[in-house]
Amino acid sequence: MLTDWYKAKKPRKIGKQGNLHNESSNVKKYDVIVVGAGPAGASAAYFMAKEGLDVLLLERGPFPGSKSCGGTSLIAEHTHKLFPNFWEECHCERIVIQQGYWFMTEDSLLSSSFQSMKLAAAPYNHFTVKRRSLYQWLVDKAKAVGAFVYFNHHVAEVIFDGTQAIGVEVSLPQKSRFFANVIILADGANSLVGERSGLIPRVSPENLALYVKETIALPAQVIEERFNLSPGYGSLIGLIGYPTAGFNGTGSIHTFKDSININVGLAISDFAISGIRPHELLDRVKMHPFIQTLLIGGKTIEYGGSVIPEGGYHAIPKLVHPGLLVIGDAASLVNGTHGINLAMWSGFFASRAVYESKKNRDFSVKKLSLYRTLLDESFVMQDLKANAKIASLQRELPYLFDLYTKIANDTAYHVAKVYSMPKKAKRKFIFKKITSIQPILKMASDIWKILKVVKG
Amino acid sequence: MNKIDDRLKFLHYQIDEDWQHVIVIDEAICQNCHNKQCLTFCPSGVFRENKEKKQPLLILYKQCIECGGCRLICNNIDFSYPKGGYGVLFMEGEEQL
Repeated sequence: MLTDWYKAKKPRKIGKQGNLHNESSNVKKYDVIVVGAGPAGASAAYFMAKEGLDVLLLERGPFPGSKSCGGTSLIAEHTHKLFPNFWEECHCERIVIQQGYWFMTEDSLLSSSFQSMKLAAAPYNHFTVKRRSLYQWLVDKAKAVGAFVYFNHHVAEVIFDGTQAIGVEVSLPQKSRFFANVIILADGANSLVGERSGLIPRVSPENLALYVKETIALPAQVIEERFNLSPGYGSLIGLIGYPTAGFNGTGSIHTFKDSININVGLAISDFAISGIRPHELLDRVKMHPFIQTLLIGGKTIEYGGSVIPEGGYHAIPKLVHPGLLVIGDAASLVNGTHGINLAMWSGFFASRAVYESKKNRDFSVKKLSLYRTLLDESFVMQDLKANAKIASLQRELPYLFDLYTKIANDTAYHVAKVYSMPKKAKRKFIFKKITSIQPILKMASDIWKILKVVKG
Repeated sequence: MNKIDDRLKFLHYQIDEDWQHVIVIDEAICQNCHNKQCLTFCPSGVFRENKEKKQPLLILYKQCIECGGCRLICNNIDFSYPKGGYGVLFMEGEEQL
């Protein structure tokens, strides 16, 4: 059965692009080489090329976004500050005017949701975008200002002279080397280049989450009806509780023009010990009575998965090395649901540092540390710092999402249900019900812990 | 047909016939492994049980979606990214080429 399936997927010819440079360009030295053409790498390449630097952007996939599935949301303000009026250039799917959280149990759903037409006008709040069009747009921008972009180039390792990074080794089929004054690693959450070059320690499976995702096609009008949206507007919904089967983790629903994404994820370590198959967890979410109705008539058009750094502030590795900077997911710069905007900003800050280093012909850690300084002073690190204790809180209270979602739903159920008993007795009854799930003192201590983390 | 195969038909691959990017380092370790977390963990079902004693695991590396999580759950799994241009391609909704 599988053999047939493999046969059906005939290999395509891989373009020769870049091969020309194998021999002749070995002597050429770039100002900077960026590894990975995702949001971090492509942004960095764009801002550096714009300043007149000689930039080489290397991407292992054959086109931008070829290795990532589905879509995501883009924070308008963060992106607008880097790329003014980006919504006129980058293909955005929907303007998000509705954001909600659904706290779910097996058969119930308690939601908190906000929608406002205030979010529908410039400068907006969130957009939903397909990853492929976002990455393509960023790479095109970088190319337009003179960055060289080679696809099908997989960087295996960094080349050092002593401790100074001086280039990268590209694996087969090219098996070539490229040299530069500065190397920027933007190779994603699973930064094998950083790890194999001894720059980034092996990520802990507790600090990396695995998300699986499906893209389900539905007519635009159907999406708008089901989510109560006017044409062109969209929703972002966080799913908490039931979707992650008793573990801490989240799911989400993103609406695009004529499709929606539904995803769910847990820490890699939780997936491993639970024995839950990721795609079965996704199926379980899709079968939930209040999700199922949203998907009626929908047709799955893509399935995929990826890992996302969730270790927060304390999991951030050393970001500045002699002649080398680490940005984006490789630098673990993800704060809850915010990743892409942090990636783009880290690319921008790295570009400033590389520009200053080039001006002074100094590629030492001291000079390149401007990158870390700019990060530290920005919302990127300050927000990560503010949320620094969330990762450890989740470890301390492994039942946090699940149990409290259950309690909240139970409470809501008893409040909503009309009993024949007098109101006073009902209140007592509800209180007893809740405290039978979790003792009052334990609940108070958990709430105290949560408040301490939220207060920072 | 199990659900993984149903889903894999949405994906496109540039298959590398010459080089396997996910490998088991020592098959003897797998013979004595009772957990085999790899069997359930992988989102695209790369690891499958094999009846043969000598090779207890089948590694269907050609259907890998390159999340790279497997190397973190088991020290006996070595994962690299495929060579440039090879491996999975996400081309939502497009016909397979």
